[in-house]
Amino acid sequence: MTATPGHPHARRSRELSLLAALALILLVLGWRAPRFFSAANLADLATSLAPALVAAMGMALVILARHIDISIGSQFAVCGVVMGLVAKAGLPVPLAAGSAILAGAGLGAMNGALVAGLGLPAIVVTLATMVAWREGLRWATEGTWVRGLPESFQWLGLGQAGGRLLIVVTAAAVFALFAWGLATLRAGRAVYATGSDAEAARLLGLRPRRVVFAVFVLMGALTGLAAVLTTIQFIDVQPNAGVGLELRIIAAVVVGGVAISGGRGSSLGVLLGVLFLAVLGPALVFLGGKAHWDRALQGAIILVAVASETARRRGADHD
Amino acid sequence: MTDAASARATRALLLLLAVELAVFTVLGRNFLTLGNGFEVVRASVEVGLLALALTAVIATGGIDLSVGSLLGLCAVVFGWLAREAGVAVPVAATLAVLAGMLGGLLNGWLVASLRLPPLIVTLGTYSLYRGLAEAATGGVANYTGFPDGFLGLGQGTFLGGIPAQLPLLALAFLFFWALVHRSVVGRGLEAIGYAPEAARHAGVPVGARLRLVYVLSGTVAGVASLVYVARLGQAKADAGTGFELLAITAVVLGGTSIFGGRASVVGTLVGLFVLALLQNGLRLADQPAELAGVLTGMLLLLALALSRERKGS
Repeated sequence: MTATPGHPHARRSRELSLLAALALILLVLGWRAPRFFSAANLADLATSLAPALVAAMGMALVILARHIDISIGSQFAVCGVVMGLVAKAGLPVPLAAGSAILAGAGLGAMNGALVAGLGLPAIVVTLATMVAWREGLRWATEGTWVRGLPESFQWLGLGQAGGRLLIVVTAAAVFALFAWGLATLRAGRAVYATGSDAEAARLLGLRPRRVVFAVFVLMGALTGLAAVLTTIQFIDVQPNAGVGLELRIIAAVVVGGVAISGGRGSSLGVLLGVLFLAVLGPALVFLGGKAHWDRALQGAIILVAVASETARRRGADHD
Repeated sequence: MTDAASARATRALLLLLAVELAVFTVLGRNFLTLGNGFEVVRASVEVGLLALALTAVIATGGIDLSVGSLLGLCAVVFGWLAREAGVAVPVAATLAVLAGMLGGLLNGWLVASLRLPPLIVTLGTYSLYRGLAEAATGGVANYTGFPDGFLGLGQGTFLGGIPAQLPLLALAFLFFWALVHRSVVGRGLEAIGYAPEAARHAGVPVGARLRLVYVLSGTVAGVASLVYVARLGQAKADAGTGFELLAITAVVLGGTSIFGGRASVVGTLVGLFVLALLQNGLRLADQPAELAGVLTGMLLLLALALSRERKGS
């Protein structure tokens, strides 16, 4: 039997094993390093996790539609600088946030047009835009940070506690909205259908190219929002932000069980994948490990996740 | 694509190279000199080696994003062995190349034996290999003080100015040209890229061929790491960062289809020099280095769009 896109058993097992792994890490932490569960540390964790969750949701959309976007780190940096510059120009901070999201949508539209419009491979298109945008930003800013932002910029003027709450609530709301849309809306199912089999989707009356364009635009906008949620945690904007973000986000999405071949994966998996990777790094430090192993471990986890996914699928094929 | 179309693509690229030469001769200081020509070659040997090996990988419809990271890991392995563990330089060099081979073997095993998608496999090892290099050095160790005899490989010259590493690039070019264009193996590689199932039915040992190209890619990354360390005189965990990007750009510019099935080793070499001249020429014309990055990205998109046009015609 073949694991169909919506195969409920296949989908739930990844989430269950992730939950188990997460529970194990938390148990070990509770035993060896209870400091991990201090309110201050959990608040730090939630604040750093929120933007990653928003960005991962966008990446999940693109991967579900059987594409990929590795320019996410450059988009993130451009959006952050746009927000800083708009705020510095004296416009209200919410407007600055809006322009960052709009800028992200614009960059996503460029990727989408090249991939969906011209039919170019997403991996190379976004490789090219990743370099072009990053270097373009370095050129434009000459590497200098955006400083002298208004008082109302950091934490949106709400103070640290209020600002953090706003960040976490925004991320949670956006995640819930997209999770609901993916599972129930026609547009959400169209993303799955396009990723499973674009030709079949077309015969069903869907428009795969429009879907692909739309997921790139959404991904850009969500990256813009992630940049907003990150940028407001600081008093300056640094143009070098987001280097290597593509790997962390793709790792979270793939670990969460979204198949790189498109059409399979759930929002809950994405959430668990983000949580797992976000906890893993700090857990390593709390348990006395070396932070330098973080990256190697992430690479190993991507490999294990994709290998186990394929092994299970093959097992299902032989049922 | 027919051979005629392939020749046309290479001609277009050569034209681009000529335009670059003309523009930078006017704009740059001391651009069109033999000395600068050798500098361009010297600076592009490492990326060139990676790009040649990648041409074979991409011919099969695969990709290897881990080559830059693997170069960094091999550089650290070599530096640690030669400077910390007190191993003789030739032995350390051999072991570093062996490390590259092992890295390639892991990629090949995951892609060919477990049949995992190359993009995600090498994205994982891209992170893994760089991470191992960082972990081994604690992110800070920088090995220097290599013997002059070794540094000559990256900084020396022979016959009145020819960079010492040029023969290595020439050798790699001949090897991959013969492999891809003049051997049964090469036919098989393009067949796999064109239609893997059909290749299997036609008797091409798909798994063995895939393992071969990834092992070659890893081995070449090990060799390139030695050239890199010898040229810069230091081995750090960040060696070769971003090289995979430049190498892939050179390959795609050269007319090799990113979907596999069609490869041009000559094109890769021309693509490499188009990129290298762009960087060098902009620097000599006092333009910011970032402009080279922006133009490289745009060139890559243009090459892609054009190759699609040609495919359609």
